Amino acid sequence: MSGANGLVAGVAPVTRRVRAYFAPVNRVTGAATIFDAAQSGGFALDAPPAPWVDLGWVKNFTRRCETKVTAMLAGAPVMAQSQVRAEVEATVSLEFERWGKLQLALASGTQQMNLLKTATGAAANGSGGVAEAAIALNPDSTATALDVGATAAAQFSVGDLVAVDVDYGGTTGYVGSWVSAGYVKSAAAVGANANYTRRVTLNVGRVAGISGGVLQLGAALPAGAPAAGMQVSPLVGFVDREGGSFFQEWSALFVMEGEQGDRVLYHYPRLQAMQGSTEKMAALAEPLEQVRLAGAFRALPVKDAADGEMVLCFRSYLPAAMSGV
Amino acid sequence: MQNAKDTFYMALRGRLAELNPARTMVVRGAVRPGIVVEENELPSAGTSTDAFVLQWTALKVDPHGPMPLAAMSCDIRYATDGAIARTTAGTTAGTTGNGGMDRGRMLGEMDAELVQAIEPRSAMKMNYAETPAAAMATRVFWSDVVFGAVKAVGERLTRTATVLVFAYQEAGEL
Repeated sequence: MSGANGLVAGVAPVTRRVRAYFAPVNRVTGAATIFDAAQSGGFALDAPPAPWVDLGWVKNFTRRCETKVTAMLAGAPVMAQSQVRAEVEATVSLEFERWGKLQLALASGTQQMNLLKTATGAAANGSGGVAEAAIALNPDSTATALDVGATAAAQFSVGDLVAVDVDYGGTTGYVGSWVSAGYVKSAAAVGANANYTRRVTLNVGRVAGISGGVLQLGAALPAGAPAAGMQVSPLVGFVDREGGSFFQEWSALFVMEGEQGDRVLYHYPRLQAMQGSTEKMAALAEPLEQVRLAGAFRALPVKDAADGEMVLCFRSYLPAAMSGV
Repeated sequence: MQNAKDTFYMALRGRLAELNPARTMVVRGAVRPGIVVEENELPSAGTSTDAFVLQWTALKVDPHGPMPLAAMSCDIRYATDGAIARTTAGTTAGTTGNGGMDRGRMLGEMDAELVQAIEPRSAMKMNYAETPAAAMATRVFWSDVVFGAVKAVGERLTRTATVLVFAYQEAGEL
């Protein structure tokens, strides 16, 4: 009940949906993107602070704590003297309401590949045959305007999808701008194909207009303005596979907006996919079904700078105004 | 609970007036946005057309939490005979001669207005018994709209939509 001072009792948050946000993990250094709820916890859901990217609403968001706490026994008779965390583990599962390159990549668990337009006469291949040659970008290109010149622009149509990234250079390790989209074990494994980076990159966009040799994109490329050496490859869609050795990893933020103005935030600095590509069917009306991308993830640890503890997840609670605490 | 009911009505009224300023009705001689709460008006046997009529029905109170949580069911009834011409003051002036053939479209417009007006599905609870109205400490929130089937009464189309409205009872609140 509210008191004379105007405060009301703190009530259990009532929420409708969960919103998910993505930020990259630097796979080379293992550095996650850290969300600071003390600084940014109250952000507008449609405008997350950089570098967080909105993944949209998710359904059936389920957190599981699989940490095992065991007792330290001593004495006669044996009695619990203290406790230890023998194993710390946390998992998250969810279904994305929105389909997009990022959601596909996260839900697939492994490389999420771009179906690059194939070269004439390319042999059939499950993840797309040999791609046609990429198109160079002029230096004045930006995150939303790709200057390919008038001749190359004539090869594109409004509505085309494009992948923008550097050529694969023959090295081993993580590839892909903005987000590590795959791991190359050897140049031979990818046929030393220059298009391999663009085949797996998450730096994709859709052409919304063409003018003066410039492809205007419907939204900014996630990697920002193209770096020197980046080229454009047209693509027709996306493909992922069951199997493979690569694991997607991301920094995740989930927000539950309370009806009283309160908010619960779950921040997993490092989530790795723990299942292959899976969908859940939601019946609309026979025979219509909505296909949702289903993802399951295992949390990996980070060190909290506050006290050096290794942790998997941060749950923050921002109480409603004038509610008792 | 009266504050929650008033808050829900005023939220819808303000939003509908913004969405479609031309949807008005005359109530006791005054031109108002086309939405009323049935229990707040004089009893009438007639059916208001081209306006939303709120009727509070079921009530359930969960007294076990830190604050009692009231769940109130609100039926929102609306009906149309088809297009009506409106004066600049927004009052009904007569049919346009469409012969009621646009009554489906008109009902669809009201459906769409209600879908928009219901969002966002919460509002700060206000005490309208005070002047000016005073903000309270909690928020009123409500469910999605559940649209009932269209009923045809002669040429008139009617629909009832239902919303479940929730509110915490603050100390001393009636």
